[in-house]
Amino acid sequence: MTAHDYLSIVHGALATVSMSLVSILFGVPIGLGLALIRWSRLPFLDQAAAVYVSIIRTCPSVTLALLIYFALPEVGISLDPVPAGILTLTLSTSAFDTEIWRSALINFPRDQYDAALSFGMRRGLRFRHVVLPQIVHGSLPALVNEMTLLVKASPAVAVLGIVEITRAAIRVGARTYDPLPPFIFALVLYSLIVFAFVKTQRVIERRVAQAGASQ
Amino acid sequence: MSLTFKLMRPSTIVPLSRRAALLPISAIALLAVAGLVAGPSPARAGSLSEIKARGYMTVATEDDFRPFEFVENGVATGYDTELLHEIGKSLPFKIQQTIIPWAGILPGVTTGKYDIAATGVLVTDVRKPAFEFSSPVAVSTTYYATQAKSAIKSASDLNGKTVGAQAGSAMLANLKSFDAELKAKGGPGIAKIVEYPSNPEAYQDLAIGRLDAVVNTEINLRTLIKERPGVFALGQPVAKPVFIAWAMQKGNKELAKLIDDALMATRKNGKMYELQKKWFDTTFEDMPATSD
Repeated sequence: MTAHDYLSIVHGALATVSMSLVSILFGVPIGLGLALIRWSRLPFLDQAAAVYVSIIRTCPSVTLALLIYFALPEVGISLDPVPAGILTLTLSTSAFDTEIWRSALINFPRDQYDAALSFGMRRGLRFRHVVLPQIVHGSLPALVNEMTLLVKASPAVAVLGIVEITRAAIRVGARTYDPLPPFIFALVLYSLIVFAFVKTQRVIERRVAQAGASQ
Repeated sequence: MSLTFKLMRPSTIVPLSRRAALLPISAIALLAVAGLVAGPSPARAGSLSEIKARGYMTVATEDDFRPFEFVENGVATGYDTELLHEIGKSLPFKIQQTIIPWAGILPGVTTGKYDIAATGVLVTDVRKPAFEFSSPVAVSTTYYATQAKSAIKSASDLNGKTVGAQAGSAMLANLKSFDAELKAKGGPGIAKIVEYPSNPEAYQDLAIGRLDAVVNTEINLRTLIKERPGVFALGQPVAKPVFIAWAMQKGNKELAKLIDDALMATRKNGKMYELQKKWFDTTFEDMPATSD
């Protein structure tokens, strides 16, 4: 492997990280929104959200990427590879995030909600000050878990021509006929990325714990 | 195909082959869905007049199919890429090349995302009704390769051996037919066929002795042996030759005609054979004008 080969895989890592982060940035709030729709049992929207989650969960990321990239132009929506890739990962992760948020909402203690209600807190206030902080805290481990899964699902978008870590490693292996070194290097990069996510989670948890103790 | 065989001089009966069949299941599912969603929609792949009007032709090539197409220091290279640039000089429009993995290539052509796949596509009977193929750019024959010090001296020595191939490839199908042939001749047949997601992994297992042989196209194996001298040795063919050509959307005959004329010109001026010599270490000078 030449220096250029290592560099190309690092370059792939930038694609992996940036696409994953953008998808997380969209996917986590979308998931929260859908979970709230389901939690509040809004007629019609509730069922629509449930169907959305069910369909996306059955669809492998590669298939979803191919569908978005190759089939959508048939109905007049032609996306470039990067937007199509981000859309794929966002749709995918938002469905799983919905279920994570929903389980936190299901477990949310009803009496606290009723207490907030008895103090006359408005809906928005209730949600921001009573519900949200607690479901964020409860969902964080599962959300970060899903984020690490997303990072590892991201090679699916390589099928659109996006060169992320795995694709870059495959290219090097295909050129040198020696696939082991690039794959090991790819594995190291994935480990670092996942480690960064987990580390961030730990820091947030510690801050929350300290904030709780100092109150 | 039998025609090809006869047309070729013995010394040049060394075609190569290409992983043929990953023709992804997803592609089929995709087409089904596309059909449901859109019905008979206007094809997006350009007819010749549309390509001329927009001023460029969209071309899909691969990134991990050495020596046909691969990426070196971030730049696309290989036989098909160089041949594409060569014919590009005579085409009345520009070439816009996109590098994508094999799984996206044929669906991209059927759905019209790309005008042409300038990659080593094996012209199989299954694909003929689905694509418009250019005139052949190479010939493929499935061979086996062994370790350099192997005791396997002829194809029939594969009886009782462990042989690897790429999953879903045409070469795997060839290997299975060959296994049946061995058994029909009364031999025990191949002991075990191991399938790999890609060829480099199979070569790795051959090098460390987990496999007795690997099947792939002659061209791919020759390139491998050149790259890793003293490790591997080329064996014999295990199937008949098949053409390799570029694929366009079915019915896009005008574009196919233009590409064919440009390709035939590179045969006449010898440029195509030069590139074959460079990338395959052999030439295919007796190919017919069409891939049918």
